[in-house]
Amino acid sequence: MVDNHPQRAVTTLDQAGYRPWTGTLRSPWWSVLAIVRVALGLIMRRWLFWGLLGLGLLNFLYHFSFIYLKATLVVQSRDFARFLDGFKLTGTGEAYMTFMHVQAGIAALLLAFAGSMLIGADTRHGGMIFYLSRSMDRKHYIIGKLLSIAAIVSLITTVPALILYIEYGVLSNSFDYFVENWTIARGILGFGLVLATVQSLLLFAVASWIPRTVPLAMTWLGIFVLLTALGRALREMAGDRRWMLLALWEDMLRIGHWAFGSLPENRIPTGTETAVVLVGVCLVSLALIVYRVKAVEVVR
Amino acid sequence: MPLIELDGVSHHYGVLRALHEVTFSVEPGAIGLIGQNGAGKSTLLKILLGLLQPSQGSGTVLGFDIRRQSRPLRSRIGFMPEAESLIPGVRGVDLVALAGELSGMPRRQALRRAHEVLSHLELDEARYRNCEDYSVGMKQRLKLAAALVHDPDLLLLDEPTAGLDPAGRDAMLRLLRAIATRHGKSLLLSTHLLGDIDRVCQQVIIVDRGSVLGVGRIEDLCQQRAGRFRLRWSGDAGGFLARLREDGATVALATSGDQAQVDVPDHWTTRQLFERSIDTNLVLQEVIPEEEDLQQVYRRLVLKN
Repeated sequence: MVDNHPQRAVTTLDQAGYRPWTGTLRSPWWSVLAIVRVALGLIMRRWLFWGLLGLGLLNFLYHFSFIYLKATLVVQSRDFARFLDGFKLTGTGEAYMTFMHVQAGIAALLLAFAGSMLIGADTRHGGMIFYLSRSMDRKHYIIGKLLSIAAIVSLITTVPALILYIEYGVLSNSFDYFVENWTIARGILGFGLVLATVQSLLLFAVASWIPRTVPLAMTWLGIFVLLTALGRALREMAGDRRWMLLALWEDMLRIGHWAFGSLPENRIPTGTETAVVLVGVCLVSLALIVYRVKAVEVVR
Repeated sequence: MPLIELDGVSHHYGVLRALHEVTFSVEPGAIGLIGQNGAGKSTLLKILLGLLQPSQGSGTVLGFDIRRQSRPLRSRIGFMPEAESLIPGVRGVDLVALAGELSGMPRRQALRRAHEVLSHLELDEARYRNCEDYSVGMKQRLKLAAALVHDPDLLLLDEPTAGLDPAGRDAMLRLLRAIATRHGKSLLLSTHLLGDIDRVCQQVIIVDRGSVLGVGRIEDLCQQRAGRFRLRWSGDAGGFLARLREDGATVALATSGDQAQVDVPDHWTTRQLFERSIDTNLVLQEVIPEEEDLQQVYRRLVLKN
């Protein structure tokens, strides 16, 4: 952008302190990256979150070292290999699914406490105007925040699972593992996408309406725990397994099994029914987010 | 080119009328926006920022259409909101750099510029502290730095002295005045404190209940009150003053007995006063048109509304 302000003149005082900036402004899509970077930085600066990230890292290292040990020791001792197989770290889709399930739990716990800082602060402290008064639109703000949450979920679930998958394949005798088990990669990416999408939209929607840490954490965990309990109770009372669709956590797991190809075809609720429920939850969340980020709410 | 030009801008929140047929034009410079709470200042700021589409009417800010060019418009505007609008957990320098990046600056340039602006606003020693640890005055300067980082042509400042002690307020006003006069920036200073506007601004926009009551240079607005005179005479003025009252003027006699403040009907000039003094054989020694200060102008316009 060329600086052509008619009244601007560089004086001695300006040179000592304030100087005009003459540069080219970039596309607002770059601001999405800045939002994600700052959000990740905020997470990394809190000891509480380091504790939870450390838990995830520990689980990852446990699997990583186990796969490594198995690959190197199996040659030396067949008995030891059979012993290791008992831990179900066999490089199958089920093993990655279990790993991602545990990691997703850690991510959900982290988001319960981080949601207030990532999203709630914007509505509580008027931070939203900090973003929206710049040369970006509401869509950039929403996408930036959603990607921030999705990046945190993916860093804890999908990325380590992919690393384990690659490690298993690389430590195999040939690259046939990748060819024969490409559905595992699809499953990891698919399950990861569902976890990231649903959790980011749901957290953004909840945190923008319930911005304080404790109520948000209770609501967030309640959505997964209480709805699961309610779904189970209604299933028992009505004798209809479709009531389990209320359990969002199990819905995500069901879609994960679907992505890994391990969901039985005649299982009720079906994968399609589950997908419809999750898409509905995502759409409602998005509507709540857009309503909350309307300009009317911005300048107080 | 006018800095801001609005034509018949109205805005409604449902049945609530926030702005009604707002039409004005102001030139570049330091402009005050004054009005009570609920007068429509925030709605006007939202519209000028391009965050809110007016229900009707049109306008331009810095030559950009407020309806169709809101994003390029915001790239030339720096906004300092009244709300805290900081991100807890982020260091001062990172916050200002983020503001630059969100305005479209490349990261390295935004960071370098953040250091420069923070030094200019005398926050260089606190720049590595988390912004929630800043004092109220420092937070205000930090918000100003975030508004200035991309070197905008126009600064929209919403209550920039809110919460400041007298010394902090004084420093902030001096800073704003310097930004407006030395750096050629235009300011729109929204406040309910007339003193702030008096010290920083050359132009003022007075809003009340969604309508603009007065716009223009402060000097001109203060001189526009042509209907009030201070008179001094020698001799008996009983007949003269009675005649003035008969013809619709309001007379406030001073305690000395040879002076009065007279509010005359709209079309009157000094001529009508001299005519009546001649008719009643009174010698007027002084006829001085009284100027108002900004506070009086504001009070008169709001009361009239």
